[in-house]
Amino acid sequence: MNIGYVVLVHVVWFLSTYFVIVFLLAIFSNKKILYESPKLKESNKLPKASIIVSAYNEEGTIANCIESLKKIDYPKELYEVIIINDGSKDKTANIVSKYQSKNIIFIDNEKNNGKAACLNQGIGKAKGEYIACMDADSIVPEDILKKTVPYFEDNKIGSVTVSVEVMQANNFLQRIIRLEYLLGLSLFLKIFSLFNCIHVTPGPFSIYRKKLLDNIGYFDTNNITEDLEIAYRIHKSGYKIANCMTTSVKTITPNNFKGLYRQRRRWYSGALLTLWQHKDILMKNKVGLFGYFIPYNYMLIASGLGLFIFSIYLTMSNTFKILSYYALTNYNFFSNWTFNFDVLGISLFVFFGISGILGMVLLVTSGLNASRNSPKKKPSLYLGYFMLFLLYQAFWLASFFIVLTKRKVRW
Amino acid sequence: MIAGIITILLFISIYSLNFYMNTQREEVVVDRMEQILDEYQEIQALSLMSDAFGKEMTCLSLESTLSHLDKTLWDTGLKIDQYREVTEQFITDPFYLNQKKKFNRNEVIYLSMLENMKEACNINQSVLLYFYKKKEECPDCDAQAFVLTDINKEIDDEIAIFSFDSNLELPSINALAVFYNISSFPCTVVEDHTYCGLHNKNDIENILCKYRDHSIC
Repeated sequence: MNIGYVVLVHVVWFLSTYFVIVFLLAIFSNKKILYESPKLKESNKLPKASIIVSAYNEEGTIANCIESLKKIDYPKELYEVIIINDGSKDKTANIVSKYQSKNIIFIDNEKNNGKAACLNQGIGKAKGEYIACMDADSIVPEDILKKTVPYFEDNKIGSVTVSVEVMQANNFLQRIIRLEYLLGLSLFLKIFSLFNCIHVTPGPFSIYRKKLLDNIGYFDTNNITEDLEIAYRIHKSGYKIANCMTTSVKTITPNNFKGLYRQRRRWYSGALLTLWQHKDILMKNKVGLFGYFIPYNYMLIASGLGLFIFSIYLTMSNTFKILSYYALTNYNFFSNWTFNFDVLGISLFVFFGISGILGMVLLVTSGLNASRNSPKKKPSLYLGYFMLFLLYQAFWLASFFIVLTKRKVRW
Repeated sequence: MIAGIITILLFISIYSLNFYMNTQREEVVVDRMEQILDEYQEIQALSLMSDAFGKEMTCLSLESTLSHLDKTLWDTGLKIDQYREVTEQFITDPFYLNQKKKFNRNEVIYLSMLENMKEACNINQSVLLYFYKKKEECPDCDAQAFVLTDINKEIDDEIAIFSFDSNLELPSINALAVFYNISSFPCTVVEDHTYCGLHNKNDIENILCKYRDHSIC
């Protein structure tokens, strides 16, 4: 057996098992506070907030987005909505213009400048003390501001993220993605926040302290994952990112594998580029645990990917080898076949694999138990989630290739 | 900190389980080797009886015992190889190397006994000797073993296959290799005729049919 493979199995097992156990302990010990959020002190006046929406060819979704924003339970004079049309070629501008009012401001750009540039344009115009940035294909509940704004009473909080939920899960892929969001973009972010390690302020909805944005210089227009990149700079500036699970944003997800690949290619390539951009924080105490969490996370991803590639190679080479053997026996597959299962023939690799899968099942089950609005625990969902996890390895591989060959990734 | 301790405890548990299974594997191999030795004693007893009471009385029992031993030997050989492979993924255990040596010596003894009894008891079994080396030195050896395993399953009662690991450097195997003029690996000897190189199922069946009438001919 190749020594490299043996080392990879051990490294991935240690990193992933430790990760799973930290999560399980964090879930169990913080179960009661997961859905707790601070309330505004009665003596404090509600602060002014601005919500910025960048829209590019969103004629199918923008109306729902604005409707949800209009219904926000917050004094009308204390929040404004700034919608920026990013040079859409469809009817987005026409639809938005109909909603213009005192607190719904419409900026119509003829040229497509990109999401980050539009958000920055909106931030520049915003009058709020807190700035929420939101995707045009998402909708928010009425309590979104009342639940998130109180977090800023803690002066160390620079940004608040909320649970990201899937708006509609019409097919199996979307149902699996819903599970993934429920864990990855809700519960796990909450757990990360307990260690001050939130690595992303999700684009569908995140709210920032204006003072912080002024200090760090808004979104990076050269970064394809601006919501991820800004999280690094928030940590660098000494602020914390909080997560609120008592409110959520609903967003649209890809409904086919091609769409999913496009989305993840951007996410993963952007994540790698951001990591390179902020390599100065790695293993540094200046950003606290975040400086260690990020390299740990990417080490797990890289070693997991290495193991995935190695396993695929071994499986394929063994399959070809066995097939070449069968060619010598005229493909005599079944006539002399006997089933001899010997439990003692199970190798240590299998135990590592089984314990890894059990850990993952335990983590998903505990996550579902701890989350509200979780779907039924069907075996097909678990299997789908596991398969999606394997598929993501291929997406990571493509992203590594894109970054290393310096190819450009579009939105 | 607690998570780290739990992770290490889990790691130790998995290795302990593997250690326990390794012990069980070794016990299985030792049991099978003892079974082979018991069967040898039985054959020796029958041989002595044959001298004392005549061949007619013992040949039937001898043939049955030899046939059973042939199957035990083949299965044990496969089991040793399987366990050795599972173990060698993480450690190089000298146990399997020693057992493999013992096993090969037993095969030479069995082969000698079979050759002695074949004529006396008119045993109608083809004898096939298979000489191999480890993968690195013989890329085709695994493929040849696969073909022979397939044939053995098909005509188990009509054939006795002996596989000899030439990497073990046992004097008895070296002597056999010289006797049969083994020049390269894999090499198969059928009824005292040497065929070196990789042979597919059809080739081996044709060779077997050349010297004896089998059900596959």
